[in-house]
Amino acid sequence: MLTNELAYSKAVAYIMSLLSWDKLNFIYNFVLANIVYGVIVIIGVMLFVVIFGWVERKVMAKAQFRHGPTKVGPYGFFQNIADALKLLSKENFIPESADKYLFVSSIVFILAILLFSMLIVPFSGGIYAVDLSVALLAIFVLLSVLPILIFVAGWSSGNKFGSISAQRSIIMMVSYEMPMLMVIAAVALAAHSFSFFSIVGAQSNMYFAVLMPIGFVVFFIAMLAELERPPFDIREADSELISGWLTDVGAPFYASVLIVDYARMLLGSLLIVLLFFGGWQGPFLPKVAWLLIKVFIVAIFIIVLRATYVRMRLDRLLRFGWLWLLPLSIINLIWVYFFMVWGVIL
Amino acid sequence: MSETKINIGPIHPSTHGVLRLVVTVDGDTIKEVEPHIGFLHRGVEKLAESRMYMQNIVYMEKLDYAAPMAHQELYVSTVEKLLGIEVKERAEYVRVVLLELQRIASHLLWLGTMCNDIGQMFSMFMWTMRDRDMILRLLQEATGQRMFYVNMRLGGVNRDLPAGFEDDTYKVLDSIEHSLGEYKDFLESNPVFMERLKNVGVLSRENAIRLGVTGPVLRGSGIDYDVRRNSSYYKYTKLGFRPAVETGGDSFARYKVRMKEMQESISLVRKALEEMPKGDALGLPIKLIGAVPKEKEAIVKRELPRGEGMMYMVADKQRPYRLAIRAPAFINLAALDHISRGQRLADLFAILGSLDLVMADVDK
Repeated sequence: MLTNELAYSKAVAYIMSLLSWDKLNFIYNFVLANIVYGVIVIIGVMLFVVIFGWVERKVMAKAQFRHGPTKVGPYGFFQNIADALKLLSKENFIPESADKYLFVSSIVFILAILLFSMLIVPFSGGIYAVDLSVALLAIFVLLSVLPILIFVAGWSSGNKFGSISAQRSIIMMVSYEMPMLMVIAAVALAAHSFSFFSIVGAQSNMYFAVLMPIGFVVFFIAMLAELERPPFDIREADSELISGWLTDVGAPFYASVLIVDYARMLLGSLLIVLLFFGGWQGPFLPKVAWLLIKVFIVAIFIIVLRATYVRMRLDRLLRFGWLWLLPLSIINLIWVYFFMVWGVIL
Repeated sequence: MSETKINIGPIHPSTHGVLRLVVTVDGDTIKEVEPHIGFLHRGVEKLAESRMYMQNIVYMEKLDYAAPMAHQELYVSTVEKLLGIEVKERAEYVRVVLLELQRIASHLLWLGTMCNDIGQMFSMFMWTMRDRDMILRLLQEATGQRMFYVNMRLGGVNRDLPAGFEDDTYKVLDSIEHSLGEYKDFLESNPVFMERLKNVGVLSRENAIRLGVTGPVLRGSGIDYDVRRNSSYYKYTKLGFRPAVETGGDSFARYKVRMKEMQESISLVRKALEEMPKGDALGLPIKLIGAVPKEKEAIVKRELPRGEGMMYMVADKQRPYRLAIRAPAFINLAALDHISRGQRLADLFAILGSLDLVMADVDK
C-alpha cells in the first residue's frame, strides 16, 4: 500500500511539475491569449462591418438626396443585420456547372485570409497579436493571394461573366501590385523596418504622407484597386458583368462576401493610416480612438469616391498602372532615399 | 485567342429593359454584336387597326414610356393630317411647351442611366431623376397625369395650361438650367468619365447616313438635320430653334448633343411661354363621332427625343386601315453592331447608353 501511495504521490508530483505555473503561463500567453485576441478581432471586424455598412449606405444616400435605411433600429442602424439574416435564411445555391469544392472553399479562404491578416496589424501600442519584424511584407503577401483566390472563385463558378471577372482580376493585379510594393519599399526605407511599430514610431515627427506625398497618392490609388472600390471596381462591375465573380454566389456565401468587402475596406484604411498618417499617434485621446478616427475619415473618403466616380476601363487601368503609378513610385523611392541620406543632416 | 460568345440579357442591369445581345468577343475585343429583340412586342400597329382614331392614343404613348408626350403628339398630328383639321394657334405654342418639357425629361433620364452604365453608383441617376420629377410635376399640372398624359386632341389639347403654370415653369427651368451646368462641370472635369466616352463608339458621317440613324446620334456625327427645323412644324422656326450639332461622332459627341439640346429646349420653352398668344387651345372632344377622312393616307414626321419618328396611316372610316410606325430607337439599335466592333467589352455599355434606347419603342 505504502509503495503504491508513494508511487501515486510521485506521479502526481511529476504531473504537477509538468504543468508548472510557468508552463501554464506559457500556454496562456502564447495560445490562449492569441485565441482570445483573435475572437476579439473578429468581433471588432464584424462591428466595423455593421457600422460601416450603415455609414456607407447613409453617406451614399446623402450624396444622392435620399434617406437611406430608416426603418430597422435607430436611423436604420440594424438594416445590414436584417439584410444579412435574410441572406442567411435563403437557400445556398451552387450552380451545376461550378466546380463545387473550389467555388465554396475559395470564398471561405478569402474571408479567412482577411481575418488572418487582421492579426498581424496592430491597433495601438498595446493591442496586437504578434509583432512580426516582417509584418508589412507578410500583409502584402497575404493581400496578393486575394486576387488569385478571386480568380479561382470566378473561374470555378462556371459562369462566363465570372470567368471574365477572374481574368480581369489577374490583369488588375499585374497593374497595381508593383507600384504598391515600390511604395512599401520606400516606407520601409524611411522607417528602417518592416515592423508596424517602428513605422508608426518613425512618424512621430512627420507623417509619411507629408514626407512622400507622391508615394501616398500612388499607394492610395493602388489600395483602391486592391479593395475593388470605384473607380476600380472592374472585377465586379455591376453594369457590365452583372456582379463578376459574385454572379453565381448563393445567398449565404454572398453574406460572407459582404463581410469580406468591408473587412477589406477596414484593412485597407488601417494600412493607409498606419503607413502614412502616423497610426495611433495623437494628443489627449486614447491611442485606439485616434486610430479609429483616422480609419473612419479615410473610409468615408473612399465612400465619397464611390458616389462620384465612374468606372475605369481595364486596359486604361493597366496603362495607368505601368505608365504613371510605377514611374511615380520609383521617383518616390529615390526621393525617400535622398531624404534619408541628406535630409537628416539638413 | 479563340472567340467566345457571351449572352447579355434579356435580364441584365444595363440593357434598359429586355434587350438581348449575343456578343462575340476575342479576348476583350468585340467582334460582333447581335441584338435579339421582340421580348416586348405588343403588336401596336395591328392593335391600332381595330380601334377608333382617338382610342389609339393610349397605345401610342406606351411606345416610349420615357417620352409618351412626343409619341402621342406624333399620332394625333397624323390623324389631324388625315382628317384635315387645323391646329389652333395657341395650341401650337402649348404643344411646343409640353413637347420640349418632355424632351428635357427624357434626356435627363438618359443622362442618369448612361452614367449608371459606365459605372457610377446611381448618383447621377438620382440627381437627374429628381430634376425629371420636377418636370413630371409640371406636366401633371398641365395635363392631369404624371406619366401617360392622353391630353392631345384633334386641333388642340385636352385643356389649356392652368393658371400659374408659367411661373412654375420658369422656376423649374431655372433650377434645371443651374443643375445642368453643375452636371456638366462635374462630369467633364472627371478624367475617367471623359476617357470612358471619348473616341468610344465612333460613327462616321457616311456610316451615320448609311445606317439611317436619326436624332442626337445623327447630329453627333456632324450632320445638321433636325426635323424640327427641316420640316418646320409648329412654331419652331419662329421661336428661333437651332439644332445642336457635334462633329466627333463618338459617345462623347452624342452626350454633348443631348446636353446642348436640353439647353435649347429650355430656351424654347421660355420663348414659347413669352410669345404665347391669348385665346383658345382646346381641341375636339375625344369622342370623335362621324369623322370623315379628307385624304386617303397621311404621313407625318416629328423629332422625338430619340430621333426622327414617322407615322404612316391609311384611312378607313372610323379607324385607321393601316398604321405603320418608324421607331427611331429601332433604327438606332441597328447601328450598334457597326459602332461597337473592335471596341472593348466594357465600352459596349457606354455605346449602348449613348444610343439611348427604349425597348418599348424598338419592339413596338
